[in-house]
Amino acid sequence: MAADWEEIRRLAADFQRAQFTDTVQRLSERNCIEIIAKLVQDKKLDVVHTLDGKEYITPGQISREIRDELYVHGGRVNIVELQQIINVDWVHVENRASEIAKSDKAVQLILGQLIDDTYVNRLAEEVNDKLQEAGLISIAELCKSYDLPGDFLTEELSKRLGKIIQGEMDHYNRGIIFTPAFVARHKARIRGLFSGITRPTPVSSMIGTYGFQEHLLYSVLEEFINSGRLKGSVVGGRQDKAVYIPDIYAKTQNTWVDSFLQQNGYLEFDALVRLGIPDPSSYIKKRFKSTKLLFLRAACVGQALVDQVEASVEEAVNSATWTDIQPILPSCLSMEDIGILINQAMRNTNIQSTARVLGGTVVVSEKFISNCLSLFDEAMLQKAQKEVKNCPVFLVTEEDLKQASMLMESAAPSKKEKREAERRKKATEGSGSVKAGGGGNAREIRIRKTKKKGKKDEDSDEETGPSQQNRSKHTEAPFMAQKEIVAVLEERVSDCPEEILSELAEHLVRHLNKAYQEVLRTVFMSSTSSPSGINKKKCMKDLQEEISNLYNNIRLFDKGARFFSDETQVQIAKHVLKTVCTDISNVLVNFLAADLMMSVENPTSITSEVRVKILSKLPEETKGPLMKLHNCLNGKTIEDFLTNIETCTEMCGFMLKKGDKKKERQAMFQHRQALTEQLKETEDPALVLHLTSVLLFQASTHCMLHAPGRCVPQVIGTLTGRIPPEQQQLLSAYQSLVVKQLVSQSQGKKQEEADEQNEEARSVRTQLVALTPQVKELVLSQRKTSVNED
Amino acid sequence: MADEATRKAVSQIPLLKTHAGPRDRALWPQRLKEEYQALIRFVEQNKAADNDWFRLESNADGTRWTGTCWFIHELLRYEFRLEFDIPVTYPDTAPEVAVPELDGKTAKMYRGGKICLTEHFAPLWARNAPRFGLAHLMALGLGPWLAVEVPDLISKGLVVHKEQQREAAE
Repeated sequence: MAADWEEIRRLAADFQRAQFTDTVQRLSERNCIEIIAKLVQDKKLDVVHTLDGKEYITPGQISREIRDELYVHGGRVNIVELQQIINVDWVHVENRASEIAKSDKAVQLILGQLIDDTYVNRLAEEVNDKLQEAGLISIAELCKSYDLPGDFLTEELSKRLGKIIQGEMDHYNRGIIFTPAFVARHKARIRGLFSGITRPTPVSSMIGTYGFQEHLLYSVLEEFINSGRLKGSVVGGRQDKAVYIPDIYAKTQNTWVDSFLQQNGYLEFDALVRLGIPDPSSYIKKRFKSTKLLFLRAACVGQALVDQVEASVEEAVNSATWTDIQPILPSCLSMEDIGILINQAMRNTNIQSTARVLGGTVVVSEKFISNCLSLFDEAMLQKAQKEVKNCPVFLVTEEDLKQASMLMESAAPSKKEKREAERRKKATEGSGSVKAGGGGNAREIRIRKTKKKGKKDEDSDEETGPSQQNRSKHTEAPFMAQKEIVAVLEERVSDCPEEILSELAEHLVRHLNKAYQEVLRTVFMSSTSSPSGINKKKCMKDLQEEISNLYNNIRLFDKGARFFSDETQVQIAKHVLKTVCTDISNVLVNFLAADLMMSVENPTSITSEVRVKILSKLPEETKGPLMKLHNCLNGKTIEDFLTNIETCTEMCGFMLKKGDKKKERQAMFQHRQALTEQLKETEDPALVLHLTSVLLFQASTHCMLHAPGRCVPQVIGTLTGRIPPEQQQLLSAYQSLVVKQLVSQSQGKKQEEADEQNEEARSVRTQLVALTPQVKELVLSQRKTSVNED
Repeated sequence: MADEATRKAVSQIPLLKTHAGPRDRALWPQRLKEEYQALIRFVEQNKAADNDWFRLESNADGTRWTGTCWFIHELLRYEFRLEFDIPVTYPDTAPEVAVPELDGKTAKMYRGGKICLTEHFAPLWARNAPRFGLAHLMALGLGPWLAVEVPDLISKGLVVHKEQQREAAE
């Protein structure tokens, strides 16, 4: 117990001792920080605290650490990395680093990295190793692999060239370093390759194929070429377009060109381009300075060839023939070039005026052409005469008209007119026969129409043709279509190619037409300007006779028509107007036209169209009445016409003799005679009926009748009571048969009828055949009686 | 209840084993021995951590303890006397530490200057009886109380530094 207390006392003493021992004097961390902050603030201490705030570090230590780190990192260290390692604010690291770089020449600050010489040396060694291995190394590549700027590398490496790095830098391109061995190898390759080249080769393609260094290649190439080791030249500078042309190639090229020109006498630009000569014409000019060459569009031609062409052209001209240049020219020349060449040749030989180029290649002498023209003279004359006779209205132009009318104011109709008059007489006689006359007319018209068509064709031909001739004049009188001309030429000029002929024809057409116009005019003039006074008088007399005859006939026809009812009368009048009256007015018009040289050989061929045309050209005083007359022809009454024709004939200076009894009878007799003649000849039942009825009518009424076929029933109707009943019956039976036949014919045309009807038609026909002689007999027998009566 | 440093400090104070009060004549010396050992250890610890903040001594039988404690605030040292008796029911009841100088200056104090410990302290002590001793009382009771109350009192002007008092007096 006591011991316990003793121990307690001892412990108490221990406790006191423990309490009074010195406490360890410690500064708390924050006090320390405060103290240092204060010191730094007062600039009494220069330290930098680390980023975690645990340590202070002096700038000197930073520098030292930076150097250490630089050493540790092998001479190259990034400041960012340094900052992480040293663990102080970046600003301090950078400051220290830049200070080091400034103070120490061996250390540099590049792109935020500290780099010292040992590193650069090592780098240079590495580069050298690589260089020795590859023979060539590019700074750009190094930049990439070392992640350093090119300028720095270039500078540093060029400092070490020859020392550490066994190699040299390209003079033109500082971005590349190579070894002498490499250069030598390269040179050897280039020398070999380019020595072997025999044709122009783009340098770029060589680079691509053989992997040359472009700049090295160019400099080496230049060196070789300058030293004469390589015989050739580089065209196109140092660009992609650069082409190496070996001398041997140029030489062969030149020899080829020379020999080609020598052998063939020409050079085709295309061929030169194919040979690889980019600008052929200038090349040729340079190459053949002294030689005289003719430059064409796509080729050039030597003097020999030109001479040849000239010679053949001259020959063609001198011998008045033609010559085709094409065979003597190289086939490669284009038409255009041939044209130029021929023109040149013609200019040289001074025969431009005496020759002509056709079809591009054929030279034709003008003499030949004129010979060709003369081939047509005869045909032309014939045609002109024919044309003048046929239809002068279309031939004569207004100008001609004036000219002619001045020439021959009071000219009389020509001999021809006279002849015509005679012919006309015959025609008038025939005018009684309706069908025949009409048919003749129709044919005439048709022919003219086709002619007109031909004319039109030619018109269009001419329009498309090259020459812009006076069309109005031209349309008046074409001579021949081009095809016809070609045909004629082909006959005469045998060995010409077709195209040439057609072109020649085209050329000739104009001349021929012009000549034809001339010929036509002269023919026309000669035909019209040789009338004799006697002739004319005689002719006038004839004409007067004819007109009087016709006039009387018309009056008689008119009289005959009066027997009929109004309707029929009108029909008959129309018919008369269309036939006989038209004839008489045509005769009149033609007479007047003759004054203007427009007369037609056959007046019956004048249509109303032609009439109007002629009338329009007549002088005013005669034009009026004749126009009226012309209009009357389309009217309905014969009386109007008669009054008009009277005034007109007066105007024209004819005397119309009003027929006396004797004359009338004569006319009637003539008429009947003509009809009977016709009747005897015809076998057509319809015509037989028509003629018979007309003749019977004349016999019974003593009046002439000129009626259309349509009016036959009415004619027969009027005959009832005037002829014996049995005749009447026969006639009506015949008529009905004729009608039946006509009907069946028209039906048969429309559709194939049944056999029955055919049979019926056949029976009708047999009946008709049987009856025809009887019906004919009716008239023919009566004629005798009537003759007897007379 | 207490900051990390305190907790660490407390954890290093050896725990007591003897359950005996002053009335237990047989075992009290044993307990007192353990108390001293714990205190010595705590003081040594504090000194080592430059955190010495009290002086303590007891009467002969170890039932009444007196001493000083101090608190450094804004680089000034404020020192207070302290005293307490070992209650009869010790160690089941914690001794009531008194700082007589501060009597009446703060609400967290019973009459006679006995500090009013935090509500956490009593259950903590009860839970840990009899293993907690005087050293624990200092560390967990008085220390935190001073740390809370003294800056408050100073800011209120209720506690003035002695030198300043003197200066003010002069």
